[in-house]
Amino acid sequence: MNAKKQLTEGLITNNPVLVQQIGLCATMAISTTLFNGIGMGLSVLIILTCCNVVVSAIRKIIPGQVRLAIFVVVIAGFVTIVDLLLQAFIPALSSALGVFIPLIVVNCIIIGRAEAFSSKEGVFLSFRDGVFQGLGYTCVLVIMCLFRELLGSGTIGGGLLNGANSFITLDGTGAGIRIIPEGFGAGALILPFGGFLTLGLLMAVMQYALRKSSEKKAKKEKEVKE
Amino acid sequence: MKKAIDFIKPAVILLLVAAVVALVLGLVDMMTRDRIEAIAEQTKTNAMNAVLEAPSYEALDVTGAPADIDEAYAAEGGGWVVQVTETGSQGAVTMMVGVNPDLTCSGISVTKSSETAGLGAIASQQSAAGDAFRSQFVGQSGTVAVTKDGGTINALTGATITSRAISTGVTAALALCESLG
Amino acid sequence: MFASIVTISLAAILTNNFIFSQFLGICPFLGVSNKMSTATGMSVAVIFVMTMASAICWVINEFLLIPFGVAGFMQTVAYILVIAVLVQFVEMFLKKAIPALYSAMGIFLPLITTNCAVLGVVLLNTQNSYNFLESVIDGFTGGIGFTVAIVLFASVRERLEFADYPKAFEGFAICLVTAALFALAFMGFSGMKIPV
Repeated sequence: MNAKKQLTEGLITNNPVLVQQIGLCATMAISTTLFNGIGMGLSVLIILTCCNVVVSAIRKIIPGQVRLAIFVVVIAGFVTIVDLLLQAFIPALSSALGVFIPLIVVNCIIIGRAEAFSSKEGVFLSFRDGVFQGLGYTCVLVIMCLFRELLGSGTIGGGLLNGANSFITLDGTGAGIRIIPEGFGAGALILPFGGFLTLGLLMAVMQYALRKSSEKKAKKEKEVKE
Repeated sequence: MKKAIDFIKPAVILLLVAAVVALVLGLVDMMTRDRIEAIAEQTKTNAMNAVLEAPSYEALDVTGAPADIDEAYAAEGGGWVVQVTETGSQGAVTMMVGVNPDLTCSGISVTKSSETAGLGAIASQQSAAGDAFRSQFVGQSGTVAVTKDGGTINALTGATITSRAISTGVTAALALCESLG
Repeated sequence: MFASIVTISLAAILTNNFIFSQFLGICPFLGVSNKMSTATGMSVAVIFVMTMASAICWVINEFLLIPFGVAGFMQTVAYILVIAVLVQFVEMFLKKAIPALYSAMGIFLPLITTNCAVLGVVLLNTQNSYNFLESVIDGFTGGIGFTVAIVLFASVRERLEFADYPKAFEGFAICLVTAALFALAFMGFSGMKIPV
């Protein structure tokens, strides 16, 4: 398995959110500002990579009966570490994401990759898998955030850009770059309703694109045969 | 005999993994605890300073006060800061309310809430709209209410419930200080 | 006391419904809502696990984690282990008692472990510093809220099979759009509270 194939799988053909359709809860809940989206995406990427590496390293000594319990303990450990570090160093992010940080424990992406990939493959492959699947997750989050934030509150980069003292801030005080005048945004997109709708539409677009590309491929193969 | 080993081995491995995880977490906790506590302390002092500036605050006993009052402090040099929790549209809204010695509100700051982003959440944001909303409370006294309920506070667009919760909180804080002072 | 219980129940079932306003438990919600029978079966299991987990986790937090001063960093680990064990127990029970239901739920039973509504409810109980009774009530009514959502949704989804929608929306996509409309409807409940 080469790196390029793994990358396309993570980002597109086997994207955790849009194709495997797992880890949806947090995706919809926190994708309201770019700050939340990038923060959550990177947290998941780091935790996923660490868990993949550890699970892969100890895969030979894990007894089958209790493997899920062991995965869960390892994941919970890394999640707590990230949670504590965020509280200590980026408190604004920790309070913005709230309960969704500890809830990464039950994000099906991580336990899913442990079960489906890293408990079977080597350490290096698992590391790469963690990074690429994490990137796929982050990309979807960022797209959702950009869409919902731009149309919903009319800004880009809320919490992250245009801070009090510098252009980029990590204390969550940035108001973002205003594109649509205040009061003209479709506020509903920021509500839970918007989360469901945006993800539904994004999934439909993805399915449309994947079908088109596979149809094209089939057509090409047919032509080659003839 | 073999059965017992089959049963024990997984349990021992699980226990080992859990012990290692606990150990690592304990270490990380030791490294971060002081910092996290300092940040919490700092955030609180900042919130208190934002609503009523004073060199120091002295905690008051609030047992027997209404349930929505969490904590109250007497500011050095007069006035009080009260922490109140009310129910907003998405759960608890915790705020700091500063009260001048003449029982008018000196300022508010929302310290913890899970209100809807873009609507009720504006109340806790550092933005022009947030500042404008919060500054309405400065100088208020007696019963504070949104215009819909016959008061003078202009509610945040689409977030009457959040605005109402904050008004209730300010009223409760003012009432508490009246009984104190 | 009574008022706080009513407020918690109302929030868990309607105003702060785990699925439509807090985005917790979406995976099993989409996964098993295609048939009414599996939906109700899953709901019963979730109500049971959520209530039990709330009770046990409260006890563990109060009498083990806090006295030993490790609540800050062992909470998540301890809670998820309790939930995993509970789920195992429900699974064993169902396998023996109601095999039909067990086979119908298939993969989703072990997945209750990773149902974020369950871990979510115990974490939120701790965060809101609920007492024992309040925690149990929150767990139980949270489960009821999950049931309300999933049963309503399953009945709509059974009709979706006959609906004519663009092919690209097949599968979860059309479900999410439908769920969006539900979320909009549930917003009508927001801010509802019992005057104390």
